[in-house]
Amino acid sequence: MTATLAKENVIGRPIDRIDGRRKVAGAAPYPSDFDLPGQVHAALVSSTIAAGRITRIDRSKAEAAPGVLRVLTYDNAPTLTDPPQNALGSTMRRPLRDDRILHYGQHIGIVVANTRAQAVAAARLVEIEYAEEEPVLDIDDPRAAVEDNPFGMASSRGDVPAALAAADVTVDGTYTIGAEANSPMGLFTTVASWQGGRLVVHDTTQAPSFLRVALAVMFEVPEENVRVLIPFLGGGFGAGLRLWSHTVLTTLAARVLDRPVKLVLSRPQMFHSVGHRAASRQRVQLGADRDGRLTAIDHDAIAANGLGDHLPSPIVAVTPSTYACDNVATHERRAHLNIPFTGFMRAPGAIEAHFALESALDELADQTGVDPVELRLRNYAEVHPVSGKPWSSKALRDCLEVGSERFGWPGRDPAPRSTHDGDQLVGQGMASATFEFYALPCTVRLVVDRRGNATVRTAGTDIGTGTYTITAQLTAELLGIDVDQVRVVIGDTDQPPAPQSGGSGLAGALGAAIQDAASELADQLARLDGHPGESFASLLDRHGLDELEVTGYSDLAGAATHADVAPAGAFAAAFAEVGVDEDLGLIRVRRLVSVIDGGRVFNAKTARSQAIGGAVMGIGMAMLEELAYDPNTGRVANGTFGDYLVPVNRDVPDLDITFVGEPDTFNPTGSKGLGEIGIVSIAPAIANAVYHATGRRIRDLPITLDKML
Amino acid sequence: MSSATTARSTQVTVELRVNGRTYPVRLDSTTTLLDALRDELHLTGTKKGCDQGACGACTVLRDGKRIVSCLALAAQCDGSEITTIEGLAEDGHPHPMQEAFVRHDALQCGYCTTGQVMSAVALLREGRTGSDDEIREFMSGNLCRCAAYPNIVAAIREVADS
Repeated sequence: MTATLAKENVIGRPIDRIDGRRKVAGAAPYPSDFDLPGQVHAALVSSTIAAGRITRIDRSKAEAAPGVLRVLTYDNAPTLTDPPQNALGSTMRRPLRDDRILHYGQHIGIVVANTRAQAVAAARLVEIEYAEEEPVLDIDDPRAAVEDNPFGMASSRGDVPAALAAADVTVDGTYTIGAEANSPMGLFTTVASWQGGRLVVHDTTQAPSFLRVALAVMFEVPEENVRVLIPFLGGGFGAGLRLWSHTVLTTLAARVLDRPVKLVLSRPQMFHSVGHRAASRQRVQLGADRDGRLTAIDHDAIAANGLGDHLPSPIVAVTPSTYACDNVATHERRAHLNIPFTGFMRAPGAIEAHFALESALDELADQTGVDPVELRLRNYAEVHPVSGKPWSSKALRDCLEVGSERFGWPGRDPAPRSTHDGDQLVGQGMASATFEFYALPCTVRLVVDRRGNATVRTAGTDIGTGTYTITAQLTAELLGIDVDQVRVVIGDTDQPPAPQSGGSGLAGALGAAIQDAASELADQLARLDGHPGESFASLLDRHGLDELEVTGYSDLAGAATHADVAPAGAFAAAFAEVGVDEDLGLIRVRRLVSVIDGGRVFNAKTARSQAIGGAVMGIGMAMLEELAYDPNTGRVANGTFGDYLVPVNRDVPDLDITFVGEPDTFNPTGSKGLGEIGIVSIAPAIANAVYHATGRRIRDLPITLDKML
Repeated sequence: MSSATTARSTQVTVELRVNGRTYPVRLDSTTTLLDALRDELHLTGTKKGCDQGACGACTVLRDGKRIVSCLALAAQCDGSEITTIEGLAEDGHPHPMQEAFVRHDALQCGYCTTGQVMSAVALLREGRTGSDDEIREFMSGNLCRCAAYPNIVAAIREVADS
């Protein structure tokens, strides 16, 4: 029997998030809030150069400092096993492996003391001497090792060179995007405790199941002897998707000392310890006929990567799926640099690709005189352009039409510099977005008891997207009980394995697993000869059972390989209005309309919050955020919140968020994921609006004041 | 306040009055109010986001006015009345601002939320809720990377108007 979501009594409703009361009371425990009996504190020793070797280490002063229990550096630390590769690509280079320095801020030692202040003070006393080399910091540096993206991003259909040569109209643009720091508010923390051969670790991770495997391998213990706990995370935006060295070092220190050890990164350390969106440069060439119908797309990208690091984070992967075009080629390379390791940041790759593609489409609209919305409709991919299969759902047309209507796009004068408001030039721009389907296997355990209450258990965590809440809503809907009868136990690897909270894939995978469990439960109830409409309580009571337990499983990516539809990700369109003061170079986003097709929306309130969060982070990307490296030393030059600017409350314009579309036909719950789609089309919409306002095409993010003067 | 000097640090005894209770604590004179609250009093509802006074996550009230507790020394707060998120509820009922934050989904990951709520409560007393723009301006010292900003404004607006 398949449990269905047909009734929609609970699902979709804008209920308050069920963990909200704990959060506003300060009662939700984040990793840094955990203190264990006997716990001691760690601080990191970080490299002050970006390239070279360590020639001398003197630990003696630090070891003699008050309260210091241990100082570990590469030359006195136990050797660990290399971490394994996982579904997210290679993990980081094992810390304290040797004397090599690959980037500024590399963790080259850990100091453990009785108090945090003692550890921090002693970390400054570890004396390190280096043989410094000149770092390679720029993707254009001829010394940089450049390789094709090893994850197979090159693709080709048709004959792009011939189509470009024959095109009526061509666009050829180069687009650059500065490195961005995820900068979640929560300081990443590890509290590691070995209890005999068993490791319990509170860690700021979005991928508890992956972390468990990695730590088990590195410390050579069975997976079941590692427990990762992360009930509340404090934000990640992708920063918590990789295994980071501070986690390993803290776990190592706890093992060496046989005491619980706690490490909280400082804010400056956050800027070089937990990844970032890689700086990138893209070239997009478009060919089209006079009516703006695309005949060729050539998309080339190069992005920065740490030395010895291999991260998929593909930029051009989405390009072949975006538009109906017979001739499409993609190429992607990585330049390995002496920079802190890159990571994943909200809509990694997709957002970079869309900035380039949607800017180029705007240039094509300008050249052909075709309205930008109409241009996207003329090139609309009615079926999946790669597989030729029908989409499992696609309401991008609705996104464009509803967005155009809500924004008041029709009647816009397409001429740049055509609208003034006082001292300001006013411009309007738009962009659309295609996000790829993504899912990993997920398992849940569902228990119903005699009181009719249900408990759902899975290792995956809630990074603020609302996983607790939608899990309760889905379960309540499928079981026909109230939301407050559902207990959600997540963020704990003693529960069944789940995918990471990332790639907009958890809600869909988890929802499908819950539905599978509910179906299994329905089968069990049928075997118990339940009367129509009989409550769980009555049924269990009648059979003298205390509870029923079932397991649910989903593998949507596996199912996708033999589906007769093309599983779709989310779609979106954004419309932006900016005001530009040309005398001062100041740009302000005046209003923003975002329309999203995310399939079935599980909770209208938390979904809207995701869309708002994406839009505002998109404003940051478009106008504020860039991680700066000192070009001579490779030092992170703006690693504080005073220097690296993220949007504040005053930066947020009038925001209009709308969801369109129908439940997806491939995912059994109809969901397509919402965590990332809301950011994808924001930066290009703003850049296109700046062009419309000023006639200046800025192909380099962020669009800061200096680029306008 | 009494003090004893050692070669490396100065220990001080401070009477911290927090949420109506008095806590005599002995700590290093350089200890921030934030660290004292979290490490000595185990009031972990106040969060550390930057330890540099730039993010607002550690906002508490000192004698009714909002401060970032990472930039105040605990020793300076001897004799002050400190209110943290744990002291906002009355008779077990959440403060109306806390309830409005939940209702308007003025939070996502929740890490900055306690600082936002404390800042919002102070904002009401400061009389800075005349317009949404004024709320935005005077809440801009509290960063929220999840960007719950519009919902934070809506929550404050509702409480201010009630």
